[in-house]
Amino acid sequence: MKIKVKLYTILEKYAKGKVLENDTIILHKDSTLQELTRYFNIPNNIGIVFLVNDSPQGKEYRLSEGDEVKVFSFIGGG
Amino acid sequence: MDSLYGYFGKQLRVSLDSKEILKENIDASILRKYLGGVGYAARVLYDEIPEGTHPLLPENKLMFTTSPLTANRIPGGGSIMLCFKSPLTNAWGESRCGGDFGPNLKSAGYDALIIEGKSDLPVYLVINDDRVFIKPAKHLIGKKITEKTKIIRDELKDPKLSVMCIGPAGENLVKIATVMFEHRAAGRCGAGAVMGSKNLIGIAVKGSHKTPIAQPEKLTETIKTCLKILRENDFSTNLKKHGTTGDMAANDAAGDWPTKNWYSNSWGKAEQIYDQFFNKHLVKNHGCYTGCPIACGRISEVREGRFKTPVHEGSEYESLSAFTAFVFNENIEAAIQATYLCNEFGIDTISAGAIIAFAMECYENGILKKEEVGGMDLSWGNPAALPELVRMISLREGIGDMLAEGVKIASERLGGGSEKYAIHGKGLEAPAHDPRSGKVLGVTYGTANRGMCHIHPLEGMAYDSGKMDWGLMKYGVPDPNTIDRWDEKGKGKIVKILQDALILPDILNTCKFFIYAGIYIDHLAELLSAATGWHIDGQELLKVGERVMNLQRLFNMREGFRREDDLLPERMKQKPAFGFYKNEGRCAIKDFEGMLDEYYTARGWDTETGIPTKEKLLELELEE
Repeated sequence: MKIKVKLYTILEKYAKGKVLENDTIILHKDSTLQELTRYFNIPNNIGIVFLVNDSPQGKEYRLSEGDEVKVFSFIGGG
Repeated sequence: MDSLYGYFGKQLRVSLDSKEILKENIDASILRKYLGGVGYAARVLYDEIPEGTHPLLPENKLMFTTSPLTANRIPGGGSIMLCFKSPLTNAWGESRCGGDFGPNLKSAGYDALIIEGKSDLPVYLVINDDRVFIKPAKHLIGKKITEKTKIIRDELKDPKLSVMCIGPAGENLVKIATVMFEHRAAGRCGAGAVMGSKNLIGIAVKGSHKTPIAQPEKLTETIKTCLKILRENDFSTNLKKHGTTGDMAANDAAGDWPTKNWYSNSWGKAEQIYDQFFNKHLVKNHGCYTGCPIACGRISEVREGRFKTPVHEGSEYESLSAFTAFVFNENIEAAIQATYLCNEFGIDTISAGAIIAFAMECYENGILKKEEVGGMDLSWGNPAALPELVRMISLREGIGDMLAEGVKIASERLGGGSEKYAIHGKGLEAPAHDPRSGKVLGVTYGTANRGMCHIHPLEGMAYDSGKMDWGLMKYGVPDPNTIDRWDEKGKGKIVKILQDALILPDILNTCKFFIYAGIYIDHLAELLSAATGWHIDGQELLKVGERVMNLQRLFNMREGFRREDDLLPERMKQKPAFGFYKNEGRCAIKDFEGMLDEYYTARGWDTETGIPTKEKLLELELEE
């Protein structure tokens, strides 16, 4: 299934060479957000926040065709 | 006495009443116990400021402190700590400022500077190694920060002098006034009002001495190790590119972005606001002190339009969040200009944004009427109101006079139920992080000695949501990846260790971001040991951190603070009214008192009063 995905700031480097045109990736049907992080090889010990279609979701969330995913690393601000 | 390394063993004491300037020796055993920064200052100010002192009377004192790690070549070593009794909270006050002032004060040969009394006329102080003198400053009154700094440098014929000064707000005793180093601020708790109350307008400093170092080669090696860590660390690379401002979108998504005076912990607008800033207004990055290997500061501008603003340093995460999310404003250009004006007038951007949000909510609810605010439209998000209110607060003009007192006092004066719109801890306006994103932050917010600040509680949400451990698992902090950010049980115990550890950058005057970028307390212990020749490990540093936390707590207890002052505003405990987390019940804080009980027990404090027990004071060598 096609998923639209964007990685932010500190995570941008994990997207290099792994994202197709229009910011999409192809994942197996029913893949979870945990599997999405594995696809990008994002280390497990980084605090990640996901928005799926502008709604916060946890790593166990199962994705559907056409979902739009934003992946943030939570660092802190100031 | 054995030779002292890492310090000069001297402090300057300037009595503005008599204009007497003393160069005093510092007892080395005190330095060993409190090290420097907010630690050494806590010892001095606890001993020297009498109980019940009014913060804006001459009996209050203002300290500028350094540490053995205050030096440009130490990674993160470019900070000065200002400590005082806060006019905003009547409690322990401290404020950090990045820049070259700290390293210059240190290399002038002084570990600390104590300002006391009050000058009969406005003055500024000049420190040039052994030459220390006071100059008249009447001609500086009313001038903004950039102009004041330039005049002082021109008069002393030295463009490289490090100058810290107050703006018009400090002269007007605005309780959120800052002391500025160019456009870097000792921002929180009203240090500028304390300096203004003493008729001290500025301090210019330059030094040429080298601090005696116990083991120079070991120090150089340790610095190299730290620089390698920084070079390879994603956090520092990211900070250079995006600054702290780049975290706005992530914090919004995590529910760590208080919006519309804390109605919500998210808004969904941060990404577009930050994109505008990054693509249109960011000029370049900038290091606050000479030689900073990260250089997270932002140089920005608004080139044209109604909010045109010259190129300047500013627009960090807290400032832009305060003038966007707090006040429900989507106009980034107004936020940039408001931030710039805060730095020029000399007021704290966080408190200013929070106060304006409070005023907007009072206006919405009819507590403040249009005729009472000079005909201004204080509707949520009105961009034009932001720079105008910054100016009015700074000059105590119209409604600005009451707002200049901070939200706690302003709400007490306004009444009409406005108290529930005043979001603060111990009188200090809350910053741009939300305990509904993770419960550790709730405990740190409630218990921070200087009130609800963006420095000491920072570790709360970075642990719960960011899964950062700062190398502290070996000292008893549970692996953050095993902790649910919404859980409340266990958080009190975690906060105790986090606070003891993460106060250390404030004791050692090192930039807090470096600890996020991999320079952990074990590295600080190595740097400190090499500089001083003392054998100090991470465990001893934690003990110093705990001692200082307790001494600051005792300062507050002596002023009458108790458990009931360690509180969170009700709104901060409730489910958000809108945003990403409006349906997320786990956001709400259900048993704050239970978390406090656990925290006090871990601290060895009386659970009824919050006062440190005699046994704990004995253990920390803080007994009277």
